[in-house]
Amino acid sequence: MRISINWLKEFIVTSLTKDEISDKLTMLGLEAEEVYETSRLGDLIIGEVKAKIKHPNADKLNLCKVYNGKDTLSVVCGAPNVNIGQKIVFAPVGAVLPGDFKISKVKIRGEISEGMICSEREVSISDEHEGIMILDERACPGESFISYLNEYLATLELDITPNRPDCFSHFGVARDLAAKLNKKINIPSYNKRSFTKNIANSKIDVFFENPNDCPRYIAGIVENIKVSPSPNWLKLKLESIGQRSINNVVDISNLVLFEMGQPSHIFDYDKIDSKEILIRRAKKGEVITTLDEESRVLSANELLITNGKKPIAIAGIMGGINTAVSTETSTLLIECAYFNPPVIRKGAKSLGMSTEASKRFERGADPNGAENAYWRIIELLEKITKGKWVPGIIDSYPKKIDQKSIKLSREKLDVLSGCEIPDSIVNQSLTNLGFSVKVASEEWVCKPPSWRPDIEREVDLIEEVIRIYGYENIPSNFNYDALLNDKETDPHISLSKIINILTGFGFNQIFSNSLQSSRKISVLDFKPVKMINPLSDKMSQMRTSLFQGLLDTANFNLKNGNPDTMLFEWGNVFEQKSAGLLGIEEKLQLSGITNGLYIKPSVHSDISQHVSFHLVKGVVTGLLKRLSINDVSYNRIDENTIGLDEAQTIQVNSNIIGYMGKISSKFKNLLNLDIGESYGFQFDLIHLMELADVKSKYKTVIVYPSMIRDLNFVLDESVPVGDIIKTINKNGKSILIDSEPVSIFRDISIGEDNKAVAINLIFQSTKKTLEDKDVNPVIDEIIRVVSKKYSAKLR
Amino acid sequence: MKLKESIESVRIQFRADSDPFPNNEKSLDSLRIKYIGRKGLLAGLFSEMKDVIPEDRPLAGQLLNELKVEINYVFNQKSIITKDKINNSSIDISLPGINVPIGHIHPLQQTLDDIKSIFSDVGFSIAYGPEIDDDFHNFGALNFPPEHPARDMQDTFFIDPETVLRTHTSNVQIHLMEDQDPPLRYIVPGRVYRNEAISFKSYCLFNQVEGLYVDKKASFSDLKSMLEYFVKKMFGDNTKMRFRPSFFPFTEPSAEVDIWSEKRNQWLEILGCGMVDPEVFNSVNIDSNIWHGYAFGMGVERICMLKYDIDDIRLFYQGDIRFLEQF
Repeated sequence: MRISINWLKEFIVTSLTKDEISDKLTMLGLEAEEVYETSRLGDLIIGEVKAKIKHPNADKLNLCKVYNGKDTLSVVCGAPNVNIGQKIVFAPVGAVLPGDFKISKVKIRGEISEGMICSEREVSISDEHEGIMILDERACPGESFISYLNEYLATLELDITPNRPDCFSHFGVARDLAAKLNKKINIPSYNKRSFTKNIANSKIDVFFENPNDCPRYIAGIVENIKVSPSPNWLKLKLESIGQRSINNVVDISNLVLFEMGQPSHIFDYDKIDSKEILIRRAKKGEVITTLDEESRVLSANELLITNGKKPIAIAGIMGGINTAVSTETSTLLIECAYFNPPVIRKGAKSLGMSTEASKRFERGADPNGAENAYWRIIELLEKITKGKWVPGIIDSYPKKIDQKSIKLSREKLDVLSGCEIPDSIVNQSLTNLGFSVKVASEEWVCKPPSWRPDIEREVDLIEEVIRIYGYENIPSNFNYDALLNDKETDPHISLSKIINILTGFGFNQIFSNSLQSSRKISVLDFKPVKMINPLSDKMSQMRTSLFQGLLDTANFNLKNGNPDTMLFEWGNVFEQKSAGLLGIEEKLQLSGITNGLYIKPSVHSDISQHVSFHLVKGVVTGLLKRLSINDVSYNRIDENTIGLDEAQTIQVNSNIIGYMGKISSKFKNLLNLDIGESYGFQFDLIHLMELADVKSKYKTVIVYPSMIRDLNFVLDESVPVGDIIKTINKNGKSILIDSEPVSIFRDISIGEDNKAVAINLIFQSTKKTLEDKDVNPVIDEIIRVVSKKYSAKLR
Repeated sequence: MKLKESIESVRIQFRADSDPFPNNEKSLDSLRIKYIGRKGLLAGLFSEMKDVIPEDRPLAGQLLNELKVEINYVFNQKSIITKDKINNSSIDISLPGINVPIGHIHPLQQTLDDIKSIFSDVGFSIAYGPEIDDDFHNFGALNFPPEHPARDMQDTFFIDPETVLRTHTSNVQIHLMEDQDPPLRYIVPGRVYRNEAISFKSYCLFNQVEGLYVDKKASFSDLKSMLEYFVKKMFGDNTKMRFRPSFFPFTEPSAEVDIWSEKRNQWLEILGCGMVDPEVFNSVNIDSNIWHGYAFGMGVERICMLKYDIDDIRLFYQGDIRFLEQF
């Protein structure tokens, strides 16, 4: 909501600047943002009246000497309030005032005038034109008027939280500010009229279908009005907060809205076409054309103001066009009501409408404020439209709104605030905010004012006290008890180690969107979790795997000049295993992919190496080694659901904790990828973190030397080397500590479908230095078993 | 003895020739050839041994050996240094280093790790919870009234009318209080979702860290000091900050914390917080007359953006190497 500082100052006398007010409001919970007005007053400067004598040829004019910061000029001025020593707004020769009024050097009744001293109206600040505008001591002759104005005429944009409907007006904001500053608040002027005979009553009757929907309805009538453009001051006032002026009647309604926060509606009485108002819910399918000329089809959610038959307004939201005020209107029906907030909220929501009125009603207006606003409107209508009030008021208040008294205890206040706020400040804050406060021993019994529907409990009172006392005045007491913690600190404690290892291997970490398109999800056969209100089809399902996001990212980087990427991500994946929330499985995964070249040729070496299955396997092996996870085995699987071809499981003991392999070509087609072969891994992250958390025990370093032997087997191409190694290891007795393939040789000379595999065997004993007689029998046994099992020969 | 004189003369000659010692390969080679080459002076002296009379041979042999040791010693010592010099000047140390693979930890991860460690240091544990949750845990128990706008389809993603993608990690507050008795001291990181159009300043998901502190004594003053400690650790000791009143359904009183940006000359909001609302305690059957608490919530993206001056939230989710390798 936009507020004008000047308007605000009608209700509170303060010398605070705009910036200071902005700061105070923000610290009260009314977050203020400054709005800088670009002004049309750039030519104006501040002047000082140095001398004043009567104009020799005109009674009502004065001859003044005005100092403009440099020179002293002669100026003729007709204002009665001009006087020596005043700081004034000075329009020098050549200046253009609003309305394209150009100032030139003129002779007025024979006396030269080199400029003009301006009134508030002449600089569009208010309608005041009886006298000149007198500036305060902050004004400095010769300086630009605009910078002064920025302090004086500025507006603020307030972000009002939903619990504070009472601050949706200048008066409401001023009330909070006055409580903070402990200042008097000026109440907007209105006269509650007395009447001997309630004539209004004979002109209109109000009926309710359900009083709960509209606890209070005030109506009254003004006759013989003349609809015309608003006076300038009213226009300017509304314009200063960005509201457009419509006509005098509508503008009065709006003025009171922004002044007091009470929405009202003004009907053309003659167009109501009956003597009754019936407030009822809309019927499904009922139609009303609203003031904005939109035809609205209603559901049963909206509350209507009807003339007994037809709707004439959507209560609390917008009036109907059939009873709108026009230039022909002469009699008005003024409505000031209090509608039930949830009813207005529902109605506005189902219509998709949000108006100044609905914003206030749906958060909770002030049921007593409705009456004050009524009298204020009557007063303004009589003054501005020259209308005549029809004595009487229809005030139907079938459901009296009354607020409970709430107890505030000293003890609770101290516990929650963490400090001792003096009694006097508690009393003063609550009283200033409009609470009626009864002081008892160590407690206060407080009745909230009618405009504070948000205050229902003791904590609400505590918030009010702390808010006015100032959050900045609450001391910070560090509670050192907090330093003791005997609970588990972080179930993901090993995650950062995993991340460090992978980045150390050259992988970049990514975060990708958990929301994906059905097309991407469809690459894999997991049943996805779907949203019923997705942002778009591109983000309609929860990811079932991290591979799609990783591959998309690799592809994005390829298109941006980085074809060689190693990426990883950790995060939740989701699967709808069975119906409902209980059927949803959330699993933490860790996945990585590799693309393009692993080693790029450089000035040092022209060797290049593409990513491969074995690169990924090396990464996985390295990761597990760094995490001290032992008993790892990799086993080929032919079929898998996770989107890998030529895959192996990653097993620890006999549990599968992950997979690695070539990324299936299915992804490429459905994701429209340009990247080449990609290889990746996927871990069950919870499982991996659990294993990483297990601390491995130290094994003694063997002091006896090892003995290395090579075996070179010729065997059929189809035999996996990994199988041979496993067989060798199984037959190594206790002295074979490692065996690894060192070369694979293929040549016609050893047979077309054969390969020669050279294997390095390392023998070592924990008890002694090994000799040939210890190792030879083991080697002979290995040769025998391998030769037999794989039809292998020694080369 | 003629040989003795010859030996002395070669020694003098060598001492002259080897000082200064040659500083390039070519003159080093010729020096070597002249003295210790196959046909060098030293070899020549040895060949003269046969002409020495037997009685003089032991002395001649000793003298000759001394010369050989001296020459070899000089060559061994000085030529190593010379070789180094020569070799050093033949490699171009201005070339770039060999590329070793370098990966980068995502800035969000780094920020998240910072937040975790700041709160771990003062006794907070870390907890996690479901990203998909029911209405009760995400809204109802947190005192969101039924008609609250956040419960609207326009703001929240629904799986079915009773199930949502959590809009904050505050749902884990409820799980924690259901599962454990106070006192509690947790921070809860995780992904949260908002039904918002994607732009430079908003994304359909972000990472949040929620904090929950429940104890018999817990006050607004404690909350302030805890968050002042956090802000100083995160943004530096001289960071200017303020607490201003705000509104959240699950805290009362509520506050927002701003830090002052010198560069932008304005306050920037970094987190929301407040004292746990008694209604929240009621919904998990914790007696609000005995237990008090505070809670806070911050966006990891927002903090990371402020810390590194990043101006577009989408960069975090794009995975652009050119972005990632800056961290």
